[in-house]
Amino acid sequence: MADARMTTAAEGVTAAFNREAAERLAAGEPQWLRERRLAAWEVYEQTPLPTTQVEEWRYTDVAMLKLDEVRLEEESGDAPSGPAAELLATGSEAAGRALQVGARLVEVECAEELRAKGVVIADLATAAREHPELVEPYLGTRAVPADLGKFAALNGALWTGGVLVYVPRGVHVEQPIRVGRWLGRAGVAVLPRTLLVADEGSRVALVETFASPDFDAPALSCGVVEVYARSGASVQYVGLQRWGLGVRHISTQRTIAERDANLDTLVVNLGASVARVDLAARLEGPGARSDMLGLYFANGEQHFDHNTRQDHVVPHAHSDLLYKGALYDRAHTVFRGLIKVHPKAQRTDAYQQNRNLLLSPEARAESLPNLEIEADDVRCSHGATVGHLDEEEMFYLMSRGLPRRAAERLVIFGFFGEVLERLPLPGVVEELRAAIEARLR
Amino acid sequence: MPYNETVANLGLEEYKYHFITKDKPLFKAQKGLSEEVVRQISAHKEEPEWMLNFRLKALRIFQSKPMPTWGGDLSKLDLDDIYYYIRPQDRMKRSWDEVPESIKETFERLGIPEAERKILAGVGAQYESEMVYHSLKKEWEEQGVIFESIEDGLRKYPDLFREYFATVVPPHDNKFAALNSAVWSGGSFVYIPKGVKVDVPLQAYFRVNAEQMGQFERTLIIADEGSQAHYIEGCTAPVYTTDSFHSGVIEIIVKPGARFRYTTIQNWPHNMYNLVTQRALVHEGGHMEWLDGNLGSKLTMKYPSCYLVGEGAHGEILSIAYAGSGQHQDTGGKVVHVAPHTTSRIISKSISRGTGRASYRGLCKVYEGARNAKSNVQCDALLLHDTSRTDTFPYIEIEESTANVGHEASVSKIGEEQLFYLMSRGLSEEEATAMVVRGFIEPVARELPLEYAVELNRLIELEMEGSVG
Repeated sequence: MADARMTTAAEGVTAAFNREAAERLAAGEPQWLRERRLAAWEVYEQTPLPTTQVEEWRYTDVAMLKLDEVRLEEESGDAPSGPAAELLATGSEAAGRALQVGARLVEVECAEELRAKGVVIADLATAAREHPELVEPYLGTRAVPADLGKFAALNGALWTGGVLVYVPRGVHVEQPIRVGRWLGRAGVAVLPRTLLVADEGSRVALVETFASPDFDAPALSCGVVEVYARSGASVQYVGLQRWGLGVRHISTQRTIAERDANLDTLVVNLGASVARVDLAARLEGPGARSDMLGLYFANGEQHFDHNTRQDHVVPHAHSDLLYKGALYDRAHTVFRGLIKVHPKAQRTDAYQQNRNLLLSPEARAESLPNLEIEADDVRCSHGATVGHLDEEEMFYLMSRGLPRRAAERLVIFGFFGEVLERLPLPGVVEELRAAIEARLR
Repeated sequence: MPYNETVANLGLEEYKYHFITKDKPLFKAQKGLSEEVVRQISAHKEEPEWMLNFRLKALRIFQSKPMPTWGGDLSKLDLDDIYYYIRPQDRMKRSWDEVPESIKETFERLGIPEAERKILAGVGAQYESEMVYHSLKKEWEEQGVIFESIEDGLRKYPDLFREYFATVVPPHDNKFAALNSAVWSGGSFVYIPKGVKVDVPLQAYFRVNAEQMGQFERTLIIADEGSQAHYIEGCTAPVYTTDSFHSGVIEIIVKPGARFRYTTIQNWPHNMYNLVTQRALVHEGGHMEWLDGNLGSKLTMKYPSCYLVGEGAHGEILSIAYAGSGQHQDTGGKVVHVAPHTTSRIISKSISRGTGRASYRGLCKVYEGARNAKSNVQCDALLLHDTSRTDTFPYIEIEESTANVGHEASVSKIGEEQLFYLMSRGLSEEEATAMVVRGFIEPVARELPLEYAVELNRLIELEMEGSVG
């Protein structure tokens, strides 16, 4: 028995992921941060790798992540180039930018007038030294603490190239802030981390784009996103995942919405060989609202697994989730969502919809929309569908002279349109449309 | 006096021994489960060798499988503290005076005749309904219908029995199916010949008079090609039993073109763990309906399922769950589409009251090759108090691009406006609430035979009493 425990304790400790790496990264960091990294490492070491016996990992075998085949990236690697890099260059209008290449943040900029108002866009490690009051209360505390799971712990111990965005009380950031993550070579693991804190009554939108060329060998991105919307703040977070083939993408995301805050997320999965996104929205203040949107398009052998959670812990909050996916070839996608209404969270409105379009005979979709309701005065509903193209719509379009493939594209576009329309960022929506269109070709 | 206490005060242990007489020694297996117990059960039933071997194999499977960690809380269930077999005579020899007042009162208020009450309480001589059963049986026999106890089925129709037994729910399916396979006792064996349409429901209620239903009942039903029948198990009145654990297995084979409906209204006492595996295998053009009502028990875990293995097969599951304080109804349904053009529908209605918890757990699986399969699931939950709880856990697994699958669920509180309207018409809050609940379950209740629907409604009204204020 003792032996069995020892083997579990060592699960996932590889040439890339080990205590020495955590200690190396922690060296030179403030005491509190060093302690958090090492504590996260302890959690990682003691947590077994999830197996398909674990309900949340039922459809995704961690063996697909190829944890043993990557080494820890500690350099920047190759600079962005080729068609995939174009995604990082979009959005000429930006309030600020950060670009991570490999393990390094190579570019950080913030519009001067915003800086004057106290907006911070910074390298997370630098900010931890220079603005500990903005980082220490939020990093790995209420949103994504290390004990949330194996991969949250891994990131907590080994993150590099982190980004902090802080918007002070009452400040409105009109243009989106752009964060780019680029991976230039295969065989490595990167652990990006984003911390967004929108103080009371502020407004901000952040668009994070993950891009790389296609690789022949595996690479890994194990990321964390933490978003705080303080009272009355309005926040949009968009994550566009357009890694190349070969990349394994794991992302743990938590959003916390306080009283009367508005916190919307859009998760777009188009790339990577395997993508696993855990996103939980916690509504912690009455009057909080959260729109959770998702789009995924998978083909070839792609495998996407979405695990969402809407946590209602107080009365009078509202959440609305809509995830839509289209699948070709032998793609396999999973949507698992939970609306959890805790006792006393009366007058909750919570909705959840997942719609899937299967476009090839061998494509496969699982949908598990779950509800756990422990208050009575609530309005909750959910729905899930798995279906195929409407042949009549296709016939109509083809009778107008469109070839089948083009007609399919049009129908898929219309299908995704319902999600994009709900994002209140018109400029970003146009870019996403272009990215999806390029992907459908 | 609370029900549990009432039962505890009966002193049943003592009572059992009291009835052991010299000329008719009763057999009672020892507590807990062992190979010895299984051998004893088989020997007592004078079973063929293959059945004993089947039971022993199932026992090993049971022992090797872990307890399920999902669903309801099974941590208080002690499987070693159970009598796995008690001879029927032993069960039946109780007297009417021993039946708890609360149960008697419920019979009274449901308007169930004296004779039936005694049957339900397992104490009656049951002459009347035996006569009804025998006259119906004669009619069925003329058409070649077999409706026997499972033991008689095995004895009288060994070949037919062996051909189908455990083919739909094999012992290794789950821990409790394995347990049932090892120690089963009681249940029905039904065969409906080709093309025969039985228009009077087959009611286990009549058949069990002769040999009381065991806590590990096993039912095997074969509806041959083009036949039609409706089987009703249990009844709406509380079935008085001293067992605290019930684990049945129901297997149904619906042959091409046959239509079969299986109705259960479960109203076990509130200290009972009820873990049942119900499954139907539906062949080409067959039509299977499960109508499942769960009102009683402490914890029920039951998911009637349809495996649609023939082209054009249809499966339907209509489910009502009522979870009062202290109860957990973990119910739902499974539809598995294996063949092309198969269709299915699940409608689930649940009501949670007080600290009750109703969970819907369902699976819709479409295998590759089940072209143009269609499935629709609808779950509605009604919450009556702020301490009530409801969950919905559907699994939708689709491997076929031509499939069309939809799931919808909604959760709501009882409508203030509806109550206000009804009360403004002169109904008390209690009556108004009961009426809203009746309206809520109506889509399922209307599928029941009239007398059952009436009893179900009355029973829910009884359960609702005191729910206001």
